[in-house]
Amino acid sequence: MPDRSAGDLLSAREIRRYTFRAGLVRTEGGIGELISEVYTSVLGAVVLVVMAAALTTGLRDSLGLGSTPVWAASALAPGFQSLPPMQASATVLLTLAAALLSVEMNVGPIALSVPQTFWWLGLPVPRRGFIVPGFLRSALWPAAAAVAVVVPLALGSAAQAGPLQVLLSALCGVGLALLLYGVAGWLQIVGRGRWVRTLAGVVVLVAPLSLVVTALAGTIEGRPVNLGWLQFLPTSWPLLVAQGQLAPLLLLAAAGAVLVVVYANLERLSSSRLKASAVAGSHVAGSVLSMDASELTRALGSADTNVPTRIRLPLVFSRGSATRRSVLTLLSAQLTVHLRHPARLLRVLVLATIPASVAAVQFLGNAPLLAVVVYVAALFGTTGLGHVARFAAGNPSVDALLPLSQQTVRRVHLLVPAAGLTLWMALAFTLLLILGVGSWPLVLLAVLAGPGLGAATLRAAFRPAPNWTMPPVATAAGPIPVGAIRNFVVGPDLVLIVLLPVLVCLASGGVPLLAFPIQLGLTALALAWGTHVRRVAASGGGSIAGSGGPSAGQGR
Amino acid sequence: MSKQPKSRSTASRGSSPSAGGAAPAVELVRAQRLLVGYGSSPVCGEVAFSLRPGEAVALVGPNGAGKSTVLKTVTGGLEPISGTALVGGKPADDRSLEFRRDVATVFDDDAFFPALTVQEHLAIVAAGHGASDVEELIAAELDFFGLLEQRESLPHNLSSGQRRRMLLAAAFIRPRLLLILDEPEQRLDTAMRTRLAARLRTEVDGGLGLLLVTHDPDFLRAVATRAIFVADEVRKLTPAQAATAISVENPHA
Repeated sequence: MPDRSAGDLLSAREIRRYTFRAGLVRTEGGIGELISEVYTSVLGAVVLVVMAAALTTGLRDSLGLGSTPVWAASALAPGFQSLPPMQASATVLLTLAAALLSVEMNVGPIALSVPQTFWWLGLPVPRRGFIVPGFLRSALWPAAAAVAVVVPLALGSAAQAGPLQVLLSALCGVGLALLLYGVAGWLQIVGRGRWVRTLAGVVVLVAPLSLVVTALAGTIEGRPVNLGWLQFLPTSWPLLVAQGQLAPLLLLAAAGAVLVVVYANLERLSSSRLKASAVAGSHVAGSVLSMDASELTRALGSADTNVPTRIRLPLVFSRGSATRRSVLTLLSAQLTVHLRHPARLLRVLVLATIPASVAAVQFLGNAPLLAVVVYVAALFGTTGLGHVARFAAGNPSVDALLPLSQQTVRRVHLLVPAAGLTLWMALAFTLLLILGVGSWPLVLLAVLAGPGLGAATLRAAFRPAPNWTMPPVATAAGPIPVGAIRNFVVGPDLVLIVLLPVLVCLASGGVPLLAFPIQLGLTALALAWGTHVRRVAASGGGSIAGSGGPSAGQGR
Repeated sequence: MSKQPKSRSTASRGSSPSAGGAAPAVELVRAQRLLVGYGSSPVCGEVAFSLRPGEAVALVGPNGAGKSTVLKTVTGGLEPISGTALVGGKPADDRSLEFRRDVATVFDDDAFFPALTVQEHLAIVAAGHGASDVEELIAAELDFFGLLEQRESLPHNLSSGQRRRMLLAAAFIRPRLLLILDEPEQRLDTAMRTRLAARLRTEVDGGLGLLLVTHDPDFLRAVATRAIFVADEVRKLTPAQAATAISVENPHA
């Protein structure tokens, strides 16, 4: 600490610097350790992808599916009515803008970390020095995201756009993002705007559906739905700028004005609001570290749209053996928890339409791209149905109340995700089939992969606790616990392995008979892997969830 | 046993805190027909009390009765449903510099910088409050709270009780006119509870205002000058009556 005479207060900046430097001094590892933690996983994923690409190309050759390179061929049936890029881009921008507003309102947007609120906000120094850096830093993310999203959309939706128009379009996107950031910041300061958050959450859920619904209505019903009005919403103004209009650039001025007002009122933020934001931010960080999409959705999404219902399924059963009755009780309890959160189930359902939504957009019906989208959607789908298993992993004593072996409990936990994800795969690939992507054998192959995805859900949910005793690594963002990094791939790895035959067949455009036994074998392997209960050494652990109950064993 | 460190209460420092003013007769806290809760749902009956320098008011009552909610409202963390909570004659507002200078709080939650040691945490608080003798103050508080050996420890290497001691040390290392403690006895061993109670009593006698929630009848008897039983119907009790009420509520306490 800098030397001061009695009563001479430090500035917020001095306290900030002291905290940051003191933390960095104690880090022991380096970036090399971070890389060494993840390189085997990254290397494994790269090898898998390269093998899959080679297999896809070979499969296309052996099935005689033409000489067009797989990455250039459209996967859609000829004559399918694709959506124009402008409408698709407008929908994407509306969805992302709503998501940004929702996320910003949930995590602050002006935020400190939880320890910072605890140790800094009680000090008798002007708080502006604590809050301003977070305010400025938090503004960078939406601005960077806007550039990353708007530039490709501008290029895709306005074929004639020159470099200047793309640049202005990106600027307009930054203006839009900062305006939303400013609005969220102002609502945080005044402590209002619940309805805004609810509305944004609903838009995030509904908007992506409009793509596939519009495409299907146009093709099947023969009645195209005109959603051209979407491009005139302010969220689409960056696209209008790409087409040569300049008036939408007023968004920049509006954003500047709102940010100035927010900046001038930063000191009005109370400790309780800053603490609430810090806790929400910590929730987000925790769910990212645990790669838990369900928790991440809860942390980022609108809590107001996740109203639990009062569904009550029977929990007491009188027929059959004690084991059978306990299994039924456990299963019924799990179903009850799932059904009490319909918004979570709806999110998983919406995820099943994402591959078809992407395929419905002109120029995006490209098989390798769809394979990637299917993987990502399935990954989020698996974790979306994993919250009950994650709760069980964190609270093993609940399952311990039932007279069931650990293995049986784990298998019962598999049932709902396996059934749900089998239906999920059937829906996702049937929708794709309606658009002309794939074939009935591919749908069947996808259905066979469904139970394996359920097992991947369990593997992610019952993953071992991170090794928090490993040395923290100094980074520009402060010390990062290395032990948490390794956890990233537990779960997503099994999703990739289970989906490999489906993705290869989707990308190659054909389904050889050999794919079915391979898929069955991988699904069986996943089921064994995901439901395996590892014996925990008596002295091991370190995790709250890692000891004491029937579910304490960690899946490997 | 370590002797008590020199008091860092604002009153003993000789300044004239705005929260309560220099005159000892000024009320540090005044709750008038205060109804607290979440949203529009009250958690207990209306609360009314005042706290002056040199007084220790204890809020007692069963779990979930609303004691901590009263504390949070008094410290500005929650808006009252109705009524007023004044600190130093003004509505409680932690955005005020004076409020943060004069009011120290320890609630039943914690958060630590994972890469900062015990003494570095305390250094932030001491230096942030303008202390010049930071090292000396830290040493004294670490000694009192039995954490000298853990001064270089990181928070995750501390036991739950040691983390609690560290939070209490952070409240004592800074100047304060009003100290607000939510179940300070929690996670402390019996010896530490006794020493803490003695120190609080000494500081209250020296002019500190203390508002606390406690479930420990011995702690209550040793520290409190008045007590308020928080429930659907709020009642004022003597410390002896309150201690009896707690004992009935929790015969093993």
